[in-house]
Amino acid sequence: MARRQAGWIALFLLPTVALFLAIYAVPLGITLFTSLFDYRLFPRRMDFVGFGNYVSLFTQDTQFHRALLNNLAWILLHTTVHIAIGAILALALYKKPRGWKAVRVIYMVPSIISNAAVAMIFANIYNPAYGVLNSFLRGMGLAELQRNWLYDPATSFLSVTMIWTLFSGYNTTLILSQALSLDDSVIEAAKVDGASRLQQDFLIVLPLVKPMIATTMIMAATYMLQMFDLIYLTTRGGPGVTTTNLPLLLYKTAMTENNYGYANTIGVVIILLGVVFMTLINRVLRTREG
Amino acid sequence: MKKILSLLVAALMMLGAVSALAEVVLEYPTFQVGVNTAAPVIAQLVEEFNAQHTGQVRIQVEEIPGDANYIEKIKVLLASNDLPPVIYGAGYNLLDLALANDSLVDLAPYVDADPDWKAMYNDKALEVNSRDGKLYGSSAEGNTIGYFYNKELFEKAGIAGPAMTWDEFFAQLETLKAAGITPLSMDTADSAWVTSLWMGALIATSGEAGQAFMAQMMPDDYNTPEVIAALTHIQKMFQEYTTVDAVGGKYENAANAFLSGQTAMIANGPWMIGDFSDTTKAPEGFAEKVGVAIYPEGFAYDEPIQGYLVTRQDDPEVEKAAVEMVKFFTSAYAQTVALENQGMLPASTNVEITQAAKDRYPLLAEFVQALEGATIRTATTQATMYPNLLDIMSAELPNLASGAMTPDQFAQALTDGAARNK
Repeated sequence: MARRQAGWIALFLLPTVALFLAIYAVPLGITLFTSLFDYRLFPRRMDFVGFGNYVSLFTQDTQFHRALLNNLAWILLHTTVHIAIGAILALALYKKPRGWKAVRVIYMVPSIISNAAVAMIFANIYNPAYGVLNSFLRGMGLAELQRNWLYDPATSFLSVTMIWTLFSGYNTTLILSQALSLDDSVIEAAKVDGASRLQQDFLIVLPLVKPMIATTMIMAATYMLQMFDLIYLTTRGGPGVTTTNLPLLLYKTAMTENNYGYANTIGVVIILLGVVFMTLINRVLRTREG
Repeated sequence: MKKILSLLVAALMMLGAVSALAEVVLEYPTFQVGVNTAAPVIAQLVEEFNAQHTGQVRIQVEEIPGDANYIEKIKVLLASNDLPPVIYGAGYNLLDLALANDSLVDLAPYVDADPDWKAMYNDKALEVNSRDGKLYGSSAEGNTIGYFYNKELFEKAGIAGPAMTWDEFFAQLETLKAAGITPLSMDTADSAWVTSLWMGALIATSGEAGQAFMAQMMPDDYNTPEVIAALTHIQKMFQEYTTVDAVGGKYENAANAFLSGQTAMIANGPWMIGDFSDTTKAPEGFAEKVGVAIYPEGFAYDEPIQGYLVTRQDDPEVEKAAVEMVKFFTSAYAQTVALENQGMLPASTNVEITQAAKDRYPLLAEFVQALEGATIRTATTQATMYPNLLDIMSAELPNLASGAMTPDQFAQALTDGAARNK
């Protein structure tokens, strides 16, 4: 009976496993394999270089160093500031103050607009000639603060970061859904014990929604490891490599420099970073949970 | 009755299917759409070609706005061995890239078999489209480039006419600025076409070394005094003589600034002439305000650019249809259409600058006359540099403009970028 059941389980798993192998495992294997080669498509060349690409990447490639640093900074900001904004708003809404539903929907709007549209909106906000930001500064009599926000090396990183940091609608929704499902008796008990509103939020509710915060942090970290379109459509990673991250560097290495082996080496680093961050976030939050 | 009707419908459907099967569809991605100056010409040629080959061949245009996006798309398709039957080499040296992947069809047998087509090639056009004795491209437009200036703004600033020397040119920039006029249209995005024209002109006129540099195909070393001197001027032009949105701006931003009378000068080719009288792009009567000149020190860009390339296809019928398309798009007729409808100079010296074109675009006749005074002629820097440097130009120019990078560092960045092609 058990053998028959195992057979059925295997049969039902087969399509998923086959798809996983075809779509993820095989390309992943090819990526790992070709990262050990000087592999270019035109003219075709595939010379084994061992770990040469990895050595170049970490010891010589200043573009990679900057892209890695940018990526790490964005992951850090996204898993802290971005999630904190979402969590604070969720804490403000879970007691259902007047208009909480409207606020939840309105705050979600930027998250449902396509990234291409968001990029265009911000390109216009930051435009040095007619952009809203410079117009506002002029209107406030602060004309000397006007900048070419996306293309001035001094402001480009921050300007790009602001495109995604403030809008934490998904996280608010997820954390709020868990906060709303909490047993009211826990809060009531805290009230009876004389806990202030702030104490209820930060000492009772926040620890109880920690598993969801961990999930949103993992999502935020992976989102930043995949981030491409918003940067590509605003600065293309410039000026220089000021706003380049690893996916963009990978794309440029493959597409403009035809260096597929090296690009795949960057790809492997991205995968490893993803694994490290997921493990780290899970471990930190689980330990505290324990 | 029902049976007869059903049979008729079935027969018609079969006929339709057979006809659809017989028709060869040429997928044609192109950046010459939308606001691109050549868009109306390409649209007309596609329509006429499709009408002439109804039921046999149909060009299906895929719109890819922006040259840089087009180049990237072609590179992706090249990497996946999925090139469209026809690509436009233009000024981006796609020929060598595609040839390195052995993706191109030798057009020589087709051209040799057709005296009219063969007559379209002069020595330079042959040279630019040939590699190792084989012919891979067919050019449609000339690449003769000077710059345009706004006569009204010049007059307002008290400037008599185009500068003959660079010293005079930079004095004019200062004069215009003092009169409250933004002197130059410039750009950095999408390969920085307009800016690179000023840069190339400065290099080419810096002496024999500069001319030798401009004559090189895929230069490896940008750390030369003439390139660094040109970059020093470009840095100053960004910092003092252009619009605030030039840094990060595309060609379209630069063109709009000139077409709206915001800037006094823009470097570009005669294909832009049609835009001056297009009221969807420029104010009524703007064409009369525009003058054209060659660059200071008697320089003009004047080298044919790579034309249309036919790529290897599994289906010989598609390849044959692609050759037909290229033959039509580069024919004397097509070049005359481009000349008369948009003011684009023909690639072939055998295509006459017609009176109709001169009447419609007096500026074109003025430019052809100005060209006679050009004593130094080269190709553009974009046509000769490694394709990956176009991206580096766009990425690093904002740094040069802001002063975060010196001209020497910029030259080094280009040199490093060139080395990555080894």
